[in-house]
Parts: sequence; structure tokens; C-alpha cells
Amino acid sequence: MTNPILLVAAREFRQIAATRSFWITLLIIPFALAIGPIASHFMRQSQTETIMVIDPSGRAAPAIAKRLDLDEQRRLLIELSRYSDSHDLDKADPSALWARHDRYYTDAEVEAFVRAGGVERAKHLMQRVAAPDTPPFEEPDPAYRIVPTPPPIAGASPAELARTLPALINPPKSQRDTEPLDYAIYVPADFAGGRAPVQMWSDGAPPGSLMGALQDTLTSVMRARFLEAHGLAAAAAETASRLAPLIAVNRPPPGKGQEQVAIRSILPLLVSYLLLMSLMLSGSWMLQGTVEERSNKLIETVLACISPDQLMYGKLVGTVAVGLTMIAFWVACAIGAAFASQGAIADILRPALAPLSQPSVALAMIYYFLAGYLMISMIFLTIGAMSDSFRDAQSYLSPVMLVVAMPFAIIAQAVLHDPSSLAVRIMSWIPIYTPFTMLARLGAGVPLWEVIGCGVTLAAFIAIEVVLLARVFRATLLSAGSKPNLARIARLMRGRETE
Amino acid sequence: MTALLLDSVIKDFGDKRAVDDLSFAVRDGEVFGFLGGNGAGKTTSLRMVLDILRPSAGRIEVLGRAPGRENSPELGFLPEERGLYRTMSALDTITYFGRLKGMSKGDARREGRALLERFELGSSANTRIERLSKGMAQKVQLATAIVNAPRLLILDEPFSGLDPVNQGLLELEIQRLSKRGATIVFSTHVMQHAERLCDRLLLLAQGRKLFEGTQDEARATLPARLSLTARETPMGLPNVQAATATGTHDGWTEWDVQLAPGSDPGDLLQACTERGFALRRFEQNRPSLHDVFLHIVGGEERRA
Repeated sequence: MTNPILLVAAREFRQIAATRSFWITLLIIPFALAIGPIASHFMRQSQTETIMVIDPSGRAAPAIAKRLDLDEQRRLLIELSRYSDSHDLDKADPSALWARHDRYYTDAEVEAFVRAGGVERAKHLMQRVAAPDTPPFEEPDPAYRIVPTPPPIAGASPAELARTLPALINPPKSQRDTEPLDYAIYVPADFAGGRAPVQMWSDGAPPGSLMGALQDTLTSVMRARFLEAHGLAAAAAETASRLAPLIAVNRPPPGKGQEQVAIRSILPLLVSYLLLMSLMLSGSWMLQGTVEERSNKLIETVLACISPDQLMYGKLVGTVAVGLTMIAFWVACAIGAAFASQGAIADILRPALAPLSQPSVALAMIYYFLAGYLMISMIFLTIGAMSDSFRDAQSYLSPVMLVVAMPFAIIAQAVLHDPSSLAVRIMSWIPIYTPFTMLARLGAGVPLWEVIGCGVTLAAFIAIEVVLLARVFRATLLSAGSKPNLARIARLMRGRETE
Repeated sequence: MTALLLDSVIKDFGDKRAVDDLSFAVRDGEVFGFLGGNGAGKTTSLRMVLDILRPSAGRIEVLGRAPGRENSPELGFLPEERGLYRTMSALDTITYFGRLKGMSKGDARREGRALLERFELGSSANTRIERLSKGMAQKVQLATAIVNAPRLLILDEPFSGLDPVNQGLLELEIQRLSKRGATIVFSTHVMQHAERLCDRLLLLAQGRKLFEGTQDEARATLPARLSLTARETPMGLPNVQAATATGTHDGWTEWDVQLAPGSDPGDLLQACTERGFALRRFEQNRPSLHDVFLHIVGGEERRA
């Protein structure tokens, strides 16, 4: 003979699993995980913009190309620095520029980086110290690419350019298969004299970075020519045009491994959030079931076969099973995504799942998760037993939701800001917030005595809660008529009144 | 053997006494009617038998044991207010309640299927309850109560809300189970059902027992009524309490006669013959249970 508690739990589980909202909720996370890489794939497609420079003098184009290349190398250097920081690779060459994080790299530094071998050299060095599961560094697409200027355009007059270039920037539909040009820049031979303007054709507003680079470069060329015209030697004029003050950026030493901690604490925080989400959902599903049993007058038929306690525990077990199924499915999807996929999602998920590899942390997380589930489900269950309709239930539910869910935003903020702040530690000791707070904190490390202390307090609270609320559950299950008010609920909890 | 015994049972809800010193016994294999108006304490008494409620005082024995869920494998119960899980199929519902009463999954399904076939619902076995008509759902509900072939079947107002077809089906089921030896206790305030089904009955008002016994014993509590057609007044004949003339035709008068409670109309007929009392018609009007109920409960309410 199967235990009635398990029979009730299995029925409860099947009923919830048969609802559409259960499946939508269950599949939302895998869907988000799947859509992420696809979206980023599409977003990567047209990252590089093409530029055509029409430069009859032949002096401006190389300068512009050089400047854009320098900016590109700076971007690569910043990306390398982030990569090195998040995968702990600074030890490959502590003196390298990419091992110095969160700073502005000057032109001279970027040039030194290129001279030292650039990205290839850095990748080679990092590979030697990288852990086996470190994903390879993926170079971002360059921001700009200078395309060769076809001879007919190179020799065209400004008036002819004004006719032909718009068609290249925004090609007619019949020529859509040819790659469109993003920007065309015409630098007249005598632009330095200030008589003929530099012209640009573009499909939309050009980005500030491109305009800045163009302005800088052409200003340097103008200054050099001006100095040359006033008798300075060509080389001196060139140097003078590039003079710039050295600006040293001073920052306090960066918090070691700051990015790592932030990422690591995402999983517990995420689990804490998932707990809240799945609890609210499965709790309200169960509540609907209990209200249905009451409003459909089912309860008496059920109670003729099993005791109210068996019914209550069966429902609790069923709801916890629903919650665990959802979480297990989501975690499995996350693990699958982390190891099957590449790119940003995997980068975030892999370190985020790292705490699971520590058995004690994983154990504590499971404990707090289950305890949180039990604690809140019991409240939902009692509300269901007191309510004849979902509208009745709502009037009890709203204040409970407010008390349980509202502080979550504060907890998340506080934990991200400082996981061991006083406010967060105090919250950890308030039983109804203990599971959420502790789950959120676990990733950043919590002293063992606190883990155990809060865990024992929580267990005691749940034991008292179950005893008191079970009295209300038993007493109100069969009673019809008006909803019990707070005073009556308190009397029922004290066992002073039975139906 | 006694299938159900209540001994001086009292149930109080706060200041209100719902069941007051109730004692009765239901013998094995009997169909026992539990009659009373609304608020008489029928449902409360049955809930105590099922251990859904605990008595404030007194003793209850169900199949020789104290009330409790360990009896549920041998009990069937159809509550007055009925409902089913809307999203479960008919067969799953019956199986679920069968298993809650300790049946194995295989047995519960097999028995459930057989019941659905018998109730002409075989083709709807896998249909969700919410897609069944009300009458069909009522049959499923009955099946959940009897899936475990109970030794003691308790039915609380089983006929209320049933359409005439299902009322007939329920009566047949009660008779069928009774023939198989099951004890059936049902509460009702519709006397015609009790009249057709009960071996014995109990009358309850305001939580107190007013009568317990067979239908004949119940009827004997009411004075017998006769319709006579005679030349002379029947007043003066033995046991005649009252006689009212209702019409005259060709010198013969129609009389409505009331006998003293407990007296036998046959004795009156014998006396008429011996005394040469001319009779053209002698018709005995058997009181219905409805009349008995009104007489007993009405008398109690007048006293209260």
C-alpha cells in the first residue's frame, strides 16, 4: 500500500505539471539561454564599418589609416586586459600592459604594445598559464576597415564624387548584393589651405570616435603643413604637429579579483531569485488546488480517506517536488549551456557555477533552498485552507507577498554591494528572510558558524510554524462561512478553538 | 454483529450542541435510514463516524473498531456536498480515491473501469471531469465511494441534486450492495427514498434521537386512519377515536375514521362483523413515512 502522503504529493505534482503556466515557466530559462548566443551571433554580423578615403594628395589617407589602426589596437588591448583579469592570467607577464587594468592606454603605450608583438604575442604568453577550461581569447571585429578606392573615383572631381558616392553609400535595390559602403571621405589636395572643405558621405550620423579620429589626424596634417610653410623642416614640422602633453592617470590599486567575485556571487543570487520566483508560482498553483478542493466540496471526500495531516504533508511534498524539478531543470540547462556553448553566456555561467563544485556550499544551498520552500509553502497552504475562492485567498496573500518578496530587491542590492555588511547579516537571522539572504550570500563566503546558526534558527522557526499553521489548517479546512480574521487565526494557532 | 454503534455521543461546537446524547446501532447487512430535517445533526454524526470530527463525549464503534483512517479500506462515503478534481480524468479520479483507501493501483483501475462500464461511462473513462455532464460526474462520484467494495457505505443526502435517472441508478446500486452483504447508512430528508430502501430508520431532530425502529414500528406511532361507508356512525365501536362524515349517498354515509394509536384496523373489522354493523366499504389508509416524520418531528418542535 502506497503511503497516502506520497499519493497526495504525486497527484498534486501531476495537477501542477498539467498546467500550461508550469511549462511556460519551466521553458523560459532554457529559451533565454538559447536565444542569447543566437542574438549575439546576429549582433556580431555587421560590426565592422567600411570607409573609403579619396585623397588626391596621398598624404592624408595614410595618416587616417594609421590613426584608426592605433585606436583599434587600443581597443584590443582593453579587451585583452579584461580577458586576462577575468581568467586570472596576469601572471603570464605581470609587467605587460594588459596586466594593468582599468586604465587609459596612451598612444605611446599602444605603439609599444604593437611593437612587442601585439595580440598574438599576448595570446601566446597567456596560453602558457591558462587553465585547460579557459576559453580562447576571441578578437572582436575591428571597428573600421578602409576599403581601396577604385581608380575612377580616385581621379574624380568633387562634382562627380557628389554624384557617384551617394549610390555607393546607399546602393539602389538592384545592387544590394554588393557590400554597401558606410562612410566616404574626400580630402581635397589643398584642404590645408582652408579653401576647400573636407567632405564626408554617410548613411547616418557618424560616430563621435570616427569624427574625433578624423579631426585629430587632419588637424595634425594641417599644422605640419602650416609649420613647413613657415620655414620649419619637414621632420620638425611633423613632430611639432604631434606634440601632446603626457597625462598620467592615477587610480587607487584595483580590488583584486573584483570582477571574479561579482560573477561568482551571481549563481547564489540567481538561485535565491529563482527560489523566490518558483516559490511564488508553485505556491500559488498549490493554493489554487487547495481552494479548488474547498470550493468544489472535495475536501470531505478526501478527509474520509486520509487525515488532514496526511493531506497537508502530501501537498507540501508535492509543491516542494514541483519547485525542485523546476530548479533542477534550470540548473541542468545552465550547466549544459555553460559547457556546450562558447562566448559571453558560457563566460558568465562557468565561474558562476563554480561554487557548486564545493560540496559544503552546494549542501548549504540545497538546505536553505528546501527550508525556504517549506517555510513559504506552508503559509500558502494555510491560506488555501482558509479560502473559499481565489479572491478570498488574494486578501491574505497580498500582505504575505509584500512581507516576503519586497525586501528581496534590497537584499540583492546589498549583497552585490557588500555581502558581509551589517544589514545583510541582520537579515540572515530573520527566519523569513534567512533562505533568500543566505542563498545570496553563500557565493561570497559566509563564516561556518553563521551558516549553521542561521540554519538551526530557521529549522526551529519552521518546526514551530508547521505546528501552529497545521492547527489553523485542520480547523479551517471544513468550516464554511466567513473568512477567519487575524484574532481568530491567532486563537486557532493557540489551539483554543477547534471546528 | 453490529456494523456501527453510537453510544451516548455528544458533539458541541462552542456553545452550540449539535448532537445530544445520541445512541443507536446498525446491524450488519442492514440498510439504515438516518432521517431528519436540515440542521438535525445528521452530517455531524456521520462526520464523527468517519473521524473527520471527534465527539465531545460518548463512544463510537465502526465495524468493531474506533473511528479512524485505518477503517477507510472497508468504508465508502458519499458526502452531501460533492465535487471532483476538474482536470483529472474519470478513471484517474476513481483510481486515486481507490488508492487513498488502500487499494493497489491495478485493482483500483480494474474496479474503476468495471464501475464506469456498468454506469455506461466506459467510453468516457479518460475524459476530464470538467468535460463531463453533471449527471455523468455524479456517477463518477458514486464510483469513487464504492470502488473499494465497502463493507460499510455511508451516504450523506445521496439523492440531493441527482437527476431522476441517477436517483434510480443509486437506488439500484444500494440494493445491489445490500444484496452482497454491505451495510448501508444513509441520511436523507426525502422520505420516499427511505420508504423504498430502509430496513430500519432513525429520526433525528435538533441533535436528539426521536425514533429508532422498522418502518412498521414508525407507522404505528401514528393513529391508523380508515375510510368506511356505513349506515350508522362508527363512533362507539372499539378503538375509534374520531369519525367525520364526508358525504351521503342513497342512505349510506362515508366516514373518515381515526383509530387509537397502536390499535389494529383488523380488530375493528372483526368487531363490525360480530355486531352486525352494516358496511359497504372498509379501506385502510396506511400512513406514509412523510406523515410519520411530520407527526414525530412536528410534535417535538411544538414541545421545544
